Amino acid sequence: MIPQISDILYNIADLLAYNPDKPMLFSSGLFWVLFLIFIPIYSSFRSSRLKMTLFVIFFSLFFYYKSSGWFFLLLVCTSLIDWLLSRLMATLKKNGQRKFVAFVSIVISLSVLGYFKYAHFFLWNWNAMVEGNFQLPDIILPVGISFYTFQSISYIVDVYRGRVKPTESWWDYLFFLSFFPSLVAGPIVRADYFLPQIRENRQASTPEVYAGLWLIIIGVVKKAIIADYISQYNDLIFDSPGSYTGFEALMGVVGYTMQIYCDFSGYSDMAIGIAAIMGFRLPENFNMPYKSQSLTEFWRRWHISLSTWLRDYLYIPLGGNRKGTFRLYLNNFLTMAIGGLWHGAAWKFVFWGAMHGVGLIVNKMCRPFTSRFDGKVWFSVLSWAITLIFVSLLWVFFRAASWSDSWVIIASIFKDFSVDSIYPFIQARNLWVTMMAIIIVTHCFSEGLCDFFSDVFVKSPWLFKLIVFIVVVQLVIELQSAEVAPFIYYQF
Amino acid sequence: MKKGLKNLWILLALAFVIFFVLSIFDIPEICGYKPKSSELADVIFKEREHDSEETEDDLDEEYAEAVVTDTDTISAPKSIFPVPVDTTTQTILFIGDSMLDGLSPRLAAYSNQSGFHQYSVIWYSSSTEKWSKAKRVKEYIDKINPTFIFICLGSNELMIKDIIEKRQQFVSDIIDQIGDIPYLWIGPPNWREDTGINQLIKNNVPEGCYFKSDGMKFERRKDGAHPTAASASLWMDSIIRWMPEHSVHPISFEMPEKKTGTADHIFIHSPSED
Repeated sequence: MIPQISDILYNIADLLAYNPDKPMLFSSGLFWVLFLIFIPIYSSFRSSRLKMTLFVIFFSLFFYYKSSGWFFLLLVCTSLIDWLLSRLMATLKKNGQRKFVAFVSIVISLSVLGYFKYAHFFLWNWNAMVEGNFQLPDIILPVGISFYTFQSISYIVDVYRGRVKPTESWWDYLFFLSFFPSLVAGPIVRADYFLPQIRENRQASTPEVYAGLWLIIIGVVKKAIIADYISQYNDLIFDSPGSYTGFEALMGVVGYTMQIYCDFSGYSDMAIGIAAIMGFRLPENFNMPYKSQSLTEFWRRWHISLSTWLRDYLYIPLGGNRKGTFRLYLNNFLTMAIGGLWHGAAWKFVFWGAMHGVGLIVNKMCRPFTSRFDGKVWFSVLSWAITLIFVSLLWVFFRAASWSDSWVIIASIFKDFSVDSIYPFIQARNLWVTMMAIIIVTHCFSEGLCDFFSDVFVKSPWLFKLIVFIVVVQLVIELQSAEVAPFIYYQF
Repeated sequence: MKKGLKNLWILLALAFVIFFVLSIFDIPEICGYKPKSSELADVIFKEREHDSEETEDDLDEEYAEAVVTDTDTISAPKSIFPVPVDTTTQTILFIGDSMLDGLSPRLAAYSNQSGFHQYSVIWYSSSTEKWSKAKRVKEYIDKINPTFIFICLGSNELMIKDIIEKRQQFVSDIIDQIGDIPYLWIGPPNWREDTGINQLIKNNVPEGCYFKSDGMKFERRKDGAHPTAASASLWMDSIIRWMPEHSVHPISFEMPEKKTGTADHIFIHSPSED
């Protein structure tokens, strides 16, 4: 039967309309169809910076509209207020007045974030304390608000500190805040890093374009193939804790440890790759974090843009390591606990962050005694194992639906563990095990080897690139459970 | 457009065209394996759903209520099968696709409470075709020797074109494999309109052996398809409540004290298995 034109138009309009159940992610087919349309228009506007800026803003806002509906207007308003206040700050001479304007801007940004993300959490705690029954209407959390709020705060603070000059035009700032590759899940981009790139208006070279494509392919493999597939089993364990053997629960924990890495770093890779194709550099966000031999090293390799943001805009203003040992430990703890709260409005996230804070303190306390073993193989292996086990166990609290579920899973690992389960497990879930093995093996690659693969791809014939791309997309189709599963960090 | 960007654009456009064309036509088998196609053409060319007089709320209202309302408030329609409830100890075999992730722990809670044995076989991304061709129903019947079988299959076949012709033999074969053992086929929890899988099951399964889940309201997981653990529990509760007055072979379950239970054994099969 020949389809009706009206039906086709209706279906296209339906695809382009906001649907909260179907946000537009980089791993969705719709994004790539729109990106196909985006590329030639973007390229034709490159000669005029104004046209290019306005077009990218338009596309970014549409991208945000697809994920959060009319909340894109909130993003526009936030950017306008920030920009006006930054311009006002630039005209003020007295430091006290500048500080007041910066304070007002930060309060506004945090109030918006607080209302949408934490209002229910605070009210729930308040009700628990006073045995009250205050209720708020349902509040929809605009996607990526935590990410762009942090970008907005860093811009205002940097303007106040004189590190960054306020942008001449509002649209330059709106471009920075709404830049679609990093809009909903980072990396969190700093103004001093990104704004010069807008002014530079540089076009990507051919190797940069293909390096971007390589990153996108790696990101798709991590996110849409590995993370989405292994999550099926991990969800089983976390949805019904206590229903499986200790070994199965252990595999669920190990699986989630790898899933959250592949999910989030894969999406970051795609974001960096898309930006690279457009001629923009985004900061590295992950650097093989599970190789870390200490928690300090882990946080230098995991979600780097958040870690450095917390360091520069929270830990150092709190005093950092400049006010004695006790304050150093306290500042570490507070920074990590607040970082935990940033991940979600629930005590489990605060606990997760706080425990990382405790781990960092212990790590720092032990350094004077353990530094004599630096360079010894047994010590490196032991440090790596302790770090990985600690990080993995804390992911249980991060992922499980409740406090009690977390303990049920951990308890079953220790109480109900049997080696008899190992062989049937591998036999029944061979693809899951294969994927886990792939992640672990690739984690052992050196950075040089990763660069080598990237170079090989960039220099390979065009037809080879096409075949690789098609194979990866077909693998996604083969393995996807249903529609696109939103990535884990999406909700933050 | 610069050369690099132009070549990239051609690459993406060509890949899109290939996947679009493959989504229109059936992909032939390659070395015995039939690759899946994307839903591009279905999404673009699907017929618009015109407003009908019968709204979604009117459809299967008794089932829809079953998921969202409290256990005790359901008033099931009068029985058309005045069959006595089987109160003997059961050995239950629960087979199906990934929907068992949610259903199996809740059924296990009922089984544990009632002193029944339960064996669950989850074959991820499986279809009636796979179960039929692999003869896996018979394999597990021989292994477990069940007294009652629950099947939840069809979720991976919501969008198969010409499904009645293509899958009739497989549904029929699965029922043949079950033989005389009492069973209940739990229909897929549609998250989109199907192309006939529910009708196909209904055509092949006797009344009282088919629980239609299409029309129920579910809270879905992030993938938009699978019910959440809580919603799947309510789904299972609805099935258990439905059985005494509708099933051709009702069995006596006791209301569980725990939310979830543990099956005697869970057999897992990966999507790639044949």
